[in-house]
Amino acid sequence: MYGWIGKVLRVNLSTGKISTEALDPAVAKDYLGARGLGTKFMVDEVDPKVDPLSPENKLIFLPGPLTGSFAPSAGRYTVVTKGALTGAIASANSGGTWGPELKFAGYDAVIFEGAAPKPVYLWIKDQTVEIRDASHIWGKDVPGTSDAIRAETDDDAKIACIGPGGENKVLFACIMNDLHRAAGRSGTGAVMGSKNLKAVAVVGTGAVTCADPKTFERAVMTARDMIQKHPVGGTGLRLYGTDVLTNILNSIGAYPTKNFQDGHFPTADKLGGETLSATLLQRPKGCFSCIISCGRVTKVTNPKYAGEGEGPEYETSWGFGGDCMIDDLEAVTKANFICNEYGLDTITMAATIACAMELYDKGLITREDTGGLALEWGNAEAMVEATRLTAIGEGFGKKLAVGSYRLADSVGHPELSMTVKKQEIPAYDARAIQGIGLNYATANCGAAHVRGYTIAPEVLGTPMKVDKDTIDGKPELVITFQNLTAALDATGSCLFATFGIGAPQLADMLSAITGVAYTAEDFMKCGDRIYNLERQFNLAAGLTAKDDALPPRLLQEPIKTGPSAGMLSRLPEMLPVYYQLRGWDENGVPTPAKLGELGLAA
Amino acid sequence: MAKMLMINADKCTGCRNCELACSMEHEGVFRPDATRVHVYTWEREGFSVPMMCQHCRDAPCITVCTPHALTRDPATGWVNLDDAKCIGCKMCVQACPFGNAIWDELNHKVLKCDYCGGDPACAKFCPNHAIEWVDDLIATRTRKRAFSEKFKQAFSE
Amino acid sequence: MKIQYFALLRDITGKKEEDWPQPEATVGQLVRDLVAHYGHAFERWVMKDGDLWDLVIILVNGHDVRHMQRFNTPLAPDDTVVIFPPVGGG
Repeated sequence: MYGWIGKVLRVNLSTGKISTEALDPAVAKDYLGARGLGTKFMVDEVDPKVDPLSPENKLIFLPGPLTGSFAPSAGRYTVVTKGALTGAIASANSGGTWGPELKFAGYDAVIFEGAAPKPVYLWIKDQTVEIRDASHIWGKDVPGTSDAIRAETDDDAKIACIGPGGENKVLFACIMNDLHRAAGRSGTGAVMGSKNLKAVAVVGTGAVTCADPKTFERAVMTARDMIQKHPVGGTGLRLYGTDVLTNILNSIGAYPTKNFQDGHFPTADKLGGETLSATLLQRPKGCFSCIISCGRVTKVTNPKYAGEGEGPEYETSWGFGGDCMIDDLEAVTKANFICNEYGLDTITMAATIACAMELYDKGLITREDTGGLALEWGNAEAMVEATRLTAIGEGFGKKLAVGSYRLADSVGHPELSMTVKKQEIPAYDARAIQGIGLNYATANCGAAHVRGYTIAPEVLGTPMKVDKDTIDGKPELVITFQNLTAALDATGSCLFATFGIGAPQLADMLSAITGVAYTAEDFMKCGDRIYNLERQFNLAAGLTAKDDALPPRLLQEPIKTGPSAGMLSRLPEMLPVYYQLRGWDENGVPTPAKLGELGLAA
Repeated sequence: MAKMLMINADKCTGCRNCELACSMEHEGVFRPDATRVHVYTWEREGFSVPMMCQHCRDAPCITVCTPHALTRDPATGWVNLDDAKCIGCKMCVQACPFGNAIWDELNHKVLKCDYCGGDPACAKFCPNHAIEWVDDLIATRTRKRAFSEKFKQAFSE
Repeated sequence: MKIQYFALLRDITGKKEEDWPQPEATVGQLVRDLVAHYGHAFERWVMKDGDLWDLVIILVNGHDVRHMQRFNTPLAPDDTVVIFPPVGGG
């Protein structure tokens, strides 16, 4: 095989058995890799009703066919599992250099089954694969874990690991790689912790091959040129990072504030990418094969919040910032560093604190409940302390560790948790932007922006500008974005490559590297297939159309101030049209005809 | 005037496109282990440096090479490796003080930057101008200009 | 009228915001004033082929001119105009 390696590594942590098997080319052709292939393994091998933290769940790490090549910004991998936070299919996507290293070691996937009796890590050096004792590493934070494992394996080993967050099974714990990159959402880190798996360390000395190098290089140069000429992909993201979105969203009144009580934050500029670049930014950083370099290497020297690392990204800046009514960028950045060091999803952590602030404000939790923490709106010190307590699993942090839905539910007010499928909504107000609200409700992993990033057309104007306030055409738009993204994720490409290229360019690169011919239509159909397969897993797990919902606040409480004041989400009008266009029945179940079209079993 | 590969480490983002371009150019596959340019990254600080053979004037690798597989072309100033003469003793790997002569165990050969015959793939592929193929006399002009501007500002106030 | 600049335009104009002393009747006239004042460096991030660049976000009181009358969008003296060059995403 070309592009793909053709080999899958399987590790049973209960029995200690390590084996390899061939990757079925027919499956690879239909599901590509990463998110697609991982979902296929989950559907084929895991009962969707399993408890995510039980040994019966599986945890799968997969790069894609483009990963390890010089396709621009295409060095990613995905972690697929049943999410601890959501109980739905989870596929968390991460950059850095870990994914390519697994390809160079000679694998398209590592499937973890069962659970180890004591803490272990997996050490992969090409064909040599060992389960090693990690008892002396358990408890270390992410940088400490990386140092300890490299000291006993290889100085340049690429490491994906959990910190204390995953060890303590914080429901939104994530998996970190390259110290600063995260397979962030849905609690994949908790699943890893439940398996007593501390880390996966890889050294690969092999190759990723290419079916048609000359055609591939031409397709790559074309794609690079398009991305470099695009102002977002070519310039903006390197200069300002994703945090440049702060002022954009705030200026149109779509910046969720105070746990979504409002949509505008007067001092948002203090949190934005312009301020970040002028104060805390050291230099930009790029993942493997990346030509965009949106990564922010940052440092806080103020002793109160001192630290260094990467970030914050827009969602993080928003969550610890305006969502909590905080405008102190150093505090926000410190909370971001803590999450990276301990392995916690920043979006859920931040939004959970914002929810807790609302509960505190309403007297539903008291200072006694919080162990003395004054969780008032705008209290930056309390926000950072709440993050730290969650990271180390102490005091009120133990209550925050279940995420905002279960926290709010425990005091009888789940409607105050801004979640879909128990996963926290990110940094774009669905009342001010109709399409993204539909995406939040229907993303298979729970509320997420990257699954169908309609912010690009609805706010930025790329690839074309659509009116954020209309609902006409939005179901179609969301479906197109969701399908394209599913296929793109499955190749190992970064979503930001779409600031420049689309399905035709991705299909061209994919065809040239694999030697399997894909048209743009074939590519989109792969995306549709992956999307429907994820849906099937969720339905079998017990999710229904009722879970394709937004919190009541977004349907009933209009935005109070700013340019989008008075607006509400019109999800109920869009959802039936969405189901219909997807080829699903009125309960959101894929029809036999739709499944047949995609080659999926009923 | 001759050309040289100028390393601008302050611009390197650690993307390793140079490694991929090099291995595809020379080996026809993507294999960072078999490249003649390597990026060294300090993970915590997020600082990266691309490293490749500097074609030294007084090259230690040439001094230790008994079959004279490594020679210096007086016309270009490049240090060239003739695979046919190389006996694989790896003395050049020991001798290079920068670690830029690499032993590839898979193919049993020494790997060393050869400037791709005058059109280095790494410089073409680098998206950030961290590696530039520039005339040696003007190689440092950008840096001189950037730093001298600080003097200009200081004396203007 | 108040004009707010973001991202690259802050470096190009040297300002985050300013009170523009000469209110214009339309967005297009205002932009042409700004181009005349700040020059080509400003123009290349706002205009393309002589018209408003599709990726530029210009808001009048928070509303995107691409859904009003683009350069013909009328302006009142107490309006706030916000200009983002096409740099954002993620």
